[in-house]
Amino acid sequence: MKLNREQMQMILALFIVAAISAILLSLTDMLTREPIAQAQRQALHSALLQVLPEHDNEVQDDLLEVDGRAIYPARLHGRLTGLAWEVIAPDGYSGSIRILVGIHPDGHVQAIRVTEHKETPGLGDGIVHNKSWLDSFHERGLSGVHWAVKKDGGDFDQFTGATITPRAVVKAVKGALVFYQSQQIKILDQINSKTAVVAPSAAGGGK
Amino acid sequence: MNKQAVFADGFWHNNAIFAQLLGMCPLLGVTTSAENGFWMGAATLLVLLGSNLVVSLVRGVVPKNVRIPAYITIIAAFVTMVGMAMNAWMHEMYLILGLFIPLIVVNCAILGRAEAFASKNSVSDSLVDALAVGLGFTMALLLLGGVRELLGQGKLFGFSLFGESYPDVLMFILPPGAFIALGFILAGVNLINRQLKRRADVAKAEAIRLEMVDKSRMSTAVEVS
Repeated sequence: MKLNREQMQMILALFIVAAISAILLSLTDMLTREPIAQAQRQALHSALLQVLPEHDNEVQDDLLEVDGRAIYPARLHGRLTGLAWEVIAPDGYSGSIRILVGIHPDGHVQAIRVTEHKETPGLGDGIVHNKSWLDSFHERGLSGVHWAVKKDGGDFDQFTGATITPRAVVKAVKGALVFYQSQQIKILDQINSKTAVVAPSAAGGGK
Repeated sequence: MNKQAVFADGFWHNNAIFAQLLGMCPLLGVTTSAENGFWMGAATLLVLLGSNLVVSLVRGVVPKNVRIPAYITIIAAFVTMVGMAMNAWMHEMYLILGLFIPLIVVNCAILGRAEAFASKNSVSDSLVDALAVGLGFTMALLLLGGVRELLGQGKLFGFSLFGESYPDVLMFILPPGAFIALGFILAGVNLINRQLKRRADVAKAEAIRLEMVDKSRMSTAVEVS
């Protein structure tokens, strides 16, 4: 088949437009790749600060892997004060919810923070903003706590107009505690056999 | 072309939301708060500036038959760039709006400006048009987001106005509230437009009357003399 002049022109025009777009996109990618990685690290850093008790080690560099989960240990003067890892609630109102769960070594919750979600703004996103609801997880363990929202006869509030979202989060946090209970010895062994990575600014520590 | 007329047309008379009712998806999706609305509008404004600029640059070069795929490629490239930049430098806002940013590609207000304006006008006129339409869009999203945040949560830009005891009004947080609030805003816009038109009509009638008075005076004067 022979292309006539007009067809050549069309192909050429689309080629040029696509080429310019590709160049612009790769330039933007080069410019933004490092800041995006940094922003994500920064977001994780501030979330870890909020869910972990006081510590002097560089938590993000201290991580270990148990059963495919990245676990961040918090240490103060070399002693383990808490652990955090991310759990995924697959049953949010719209898609998965990622939650960073921080616990004490004895298996009680220190704090939780939602790191990623697609819940309805103004309704389900209370799991991000509602401080008193987030605080209601503090010091809760597996024993003596009914891990469900009040509507299901449990101990945790739901939100006006949003039950599915908190229900999913409560279930996921409970799952994290159950996981810790079953793997506690393994996790603590791994942590104790590893030298702490001390934050450059902090003195002492290191086992 | 008169830049002022281009701006007034894009910002008000042919406002993407109030007059053309285009771009309803981002409008209903993200206007749960004034801040979300503002940043969605700003992202759309940036995409519009980029796409109008490039489309007016390549006008005459791109053959008619393939102009739509060419425009969409250009728009999609700019949307992706804005998304990346937001992810890098406004990470928190990106986490909220991230879902809706890629959808700017199919905001027909943008393709509409590329097709109806940038492909037929100079680069500088196209940039003024992009600025006007983008600002008009941002203004509409900001207004609707503000109304919904105020009525739905009793807040504005995240600050409580009626105290913590204000009950969440679900209807305004969810999409139906967006439709209802938009309906009232459209009614208000129509009211303003009617008022403007009436004022213009009155001025015109006054001018005609004065002219007639002038004429009759003159004829009386002629009779008297």
